[in-house]
Amino acid sequence: MYGETGFKLVQAAKREQALAHLPPYQTELVRATTREVRDLDKDVASILEPFAGSFNPSSEPAVACGLLTNHLCMRRNKRCLLAYHRTRTDKLDEMCWGGIDVLERQQQQVNRAGGGEGGAMGGEGGSNSNGSSLSPEEEEYVRQYSDLLAAYKGQWTDVDLTGSLEPPKDLFIDVRVLKDAGEIQTEYGAITLTKNSQFYVRQGDVERLIQQGYLQRLS
Amino acid sequence: MDDMDDIDDIIAEIAVDNTPAETRDLQDLTRCWVAERIAPEMLAWPHDVVDRVLERIRRQIELVEDQTGSMDPKTNFKLIVVQTELERFKFLVRGFLRARLKKIDAHPLYILAQHNDSSRSGDLNPLLSPSEYQYLTTHQSLLSAHYKSSFLGQFPASLQRLDDTTGGVNMIDRPDEDAAVFVRCLKDVGDLAIEGTGSSVDIKRGDVWVVRWSAVRRWVEAGDLEVI
Repeated sequence: MYGETGFKLVQAAKREQALAHLPPYQTELVRATTREVRDLDKDVASILEPFAGSFNPSSEPAVACGLLTNHLCMRRNKRCLLAYHRTRTDKLDEMCWGGIDVLERQQQQVNRAGGGEGGAMGGEGGSNSNGSSLSPEEEEYVRQYSDLLAAYKGQWTDVDLTGSLEPPKDLFIDVRVLKDAGEIQTEYGAITLTKNSQFYVRQGDVERLIQQGYLQRLS
Repeated sequence: MDDMDDIDDIIAEIAVDNTPAETRDLQDLTRCWVAERIAPEMLAWPHDVVDRVLERIRRQIELVEDQTGSMDPKTNFKLIVVQTELERFKFLVRGFLRARLKKIDAHPLYILAQHNDSSRSGDLNPLLSPSEYQYLTTHQSLLSAHYKSSFLGQFPASLQRLDDTTGGVNMIDRPDEDAAVFVRCLKDVGDLAIEGTGSSVDIKRGDVWVVRWSAVRRWVEAGDLEVI
């Protein structure tokens, strides 16, 4: 049926909005929807062929109606595809802002899927051959968007654009170290962050580490 | 009644021009930040405010760097105060810039068209700063390249555009210009006709109103009203 795959894409997009992670790219649906558009376009061309460029809608209302339906379906499919991709890129943008290294995380997923279940690989690989939930185009997009973001942030070095959007209350905060993070330099000397230790530090110094999940803020 | 007096005090304070420059910069920045977060449309880039504030931030950072390491408890305490203030300034600038970027990402083509209009007409305050303009155009070209390689490239040529206005649906998204905003009046504006409703309101200094943005946009830009 016309538009069914497009509808599924929009449903997937809607679902993704509520999820914290990014589900696998719907390669099949995207392909099917694109194919539908191409088929419809071919239909339009073949319907119009006998008229040789002199088609008059008012003399052939039935044909005109068919053409209109085809046109609207193509446009609808385009909107569905755009909505789906936009939802995903918005999500990727958000991850870039949040300091999550999307590509690295994908790589880890692939490695886990590949290394962990060495024997059982054969049966699993059907749905998504490389295990990454991004399409190659999306990976490229993320790479370039991170570059763009870094370039824009570079002009505001004093402000740290990715910092917290909560109004700062205290200059110093209590943090607990969740993962070993090595040594950091502060104005008051170097601190070695070893797991399970607790520190009273300047918020600005450790903002990134909190975002990346090395430290936890204690209230 | 008491509340009313409070507001009058605040307005009187703002109107008098003998507040020190530091305080005024902070006030301006705070006002920009609030306005940008609330107004549904993009506001002009306030380059003078941002330049002044960035200069202050840079000087404060230098001051902090100069004086750390001093063991005098008094300087140490002063530094903590300075640093706290610095963090707050940074927070305001950050919030302000992020609010603008969010709007850019939400309505890129619409804002781009507006920006081009404003810079063509020789406006002294273009809508976007140069780096924001660069961000917008680069992000937009990234997105269209992404769409193109993902699916648009296989579409019939007539359907490949991203700014198509034919077919009954305009592809260029616009912000909701009729969204309601709270405004406080700083100068008498007089009768303000609200388009489409046939009604008008008499706005006097010190009043607070809830109105649609499109009706008050002109006065907010002129500084007679402020959004709160």
